[in-house]
Amino acid sequence: MLETILFAFFALTAIFCALGVVFHKNPVHCALLLVGVLLSLSGLFILLSAQFIAALQVIVYAGAIMVLFLFVLMLLNFRQDPDVLTPGAAKGFGFLFGLLVMVELLWTALSPNGGEGGGLPAAPPLPADFGSPAAIGKILYTTWLFPFEITSILLLVAVVGAVVLAKRKFA
Amino acid sequence: MDLALIIESAVKVLVVLGFTCVSVILIVWMERKVLGHMQDRIGPERVGPFGILQTVADGIKLFMKEDLVPKQADKVLFFVAPGLSIVTALVAMSVIPWGDSVELFGRTIMLHVTDVNVAVLFLLGTTSMGVYGIVLGGWSSNSKYPLLGGLRSSAQMISYELAQGIAIVPIIMLTGTLSLAEIGRAQAKMWFVIPQFFGFVIYIICAVAETNRAPFDLAEAESELVAGFHTEFSSMKFALYFLSEYANMMVVSGVAITCFLGAWNGPVLPGPVWFLLKLGFFIFCYIWLRATFPRLRYDQLMSLGWKVLLPASLLNMAVTAVVLVMKG
Repeated sequence: MLETILFAFFALTAIFCALGVVFHKNPVHCALLLVGVLLSLSGLFILLSAQFIAALQVIVYAGAIMVLFLFVLMLLNFRQDPDVLTPGAAKGFGFLFGLLVMVELLWTALSPNGGEGGGLPAAPPLPADFGSPAAIGKILYTTWLFPFEITSILLLVAVVGAVVLAKRKFA
Repeated sequence: MDLALIIESAVKVLVVLGFTCVSVILIVWMERKVLGHMQDRIGPERVGPFGILQTVADGIKLFMKEDLVPKQADKVLFFVAPGLSIVTALVAMSVIPWGDSVELFGRTIMLHVTDVNVAVLFLLGTTSMGVYGIVLGGWSSNSKYPLLGGLRSSAQMISYELAQGIAIVPIIMLTGTLSLAEIGRAQAKMWFVIPQFFGFVIYIICAVAETNRAPFDLAEAESELVAGFHTEFSSMKFALYFLSEYANMMVVSGVAITCFLGAWNGPVLPGPVWFLLKLGFFIFCYIWLRATFPRLRYDQLMSLGWKVLLPASLLNMAVTAVVLVMKG
């Protein structure tokens, strides 16, 4: 019961904030509403007993990345952006793809034989330490070691690239 | 869910909230008194015995002041920003353990509001959310100095958050847990400041910078930026920023005590008393630092954070890992 109420709360907050991100005129407010979306998603992660992911969601996305977004928005200082919904082709494509994704999701969720295996499979019982930092660490450094290292190298390349760009003299 | 648990949690939340707000009053008085004596003055002495009610008088004064809002300010965010600041500070207080469990009315009561199993990450999360209160306060005022001050202090907080977080990682490696209560319990025999002395030093420097206190109080360098991000805030909005600064000092000191200085462990006296004594000592050091050191320049601050503290904390983590593996 409590879980349902909390789910409804976080899910509705996420949806309203997401709508706000799209429709609000002020870009700084949009960025903050996006923070709201990320925080409610973190709440949903906790309901799914994935506390570690929830904490990382807050630290990395809501805490670090969105602050940098805010910095850029504040320093660019465009207070009003009248063309939030770009008219014409972009708008049309946006609605088209959004509709496609929604139809696909509904089709998978509702049809008893959607997808390959027949509707949504029943969730398997969770191991006791599911979602704990130790369990995630173990999986990350054994089963998924190779993708993990590849991702690390990708991030390293991005860091080096950022430093090179920052050092280049434009003049 | 049983009723007793709800009552217990409610009482603990109220106690921690009340304690935080009351101790801020005491800390502000202590700061003015200690600073006064260090500068060969007496400090406040008129209101109450030893001037102890000075902060209360100041609080009432702030309460009666007109609440000014700049004409061009972003009304909603100008209202929300101080609240964000204080909420993140108070929420962080909830995971700090004040002592081991006690038996009361036949129930085992843990002396912290909640012990989430990712408490350390929870703390890092709330401190990173605390940046928003400052950066939004600076931006929403729509005025030059607050914007510069807000950007400055949030850049400072983001930079020092990294080294601060990494300085705690060796503690997690030593104890194998992210729960602050477990970390406290692991220090019954030896305080972690002994094996992790460098981590402790790094953490303390970062903690002072993280709370925007002297000698890292560049956000409110009067000679350059008036009062930094809270220049335009008056009345209770200013009081909320003030409250959150001191509450944040208590949070980072609480974490330092829990992770390095043996949490509530100590001889003879009960746990919470030891915790409070250590907390008082930390706050005294904060004031001592303020009375002693001149303010750093902004580029010195940044190079200290990124070129000294961050590599040092990474090195400390790597050395700890190697030693732990060699010991098996």
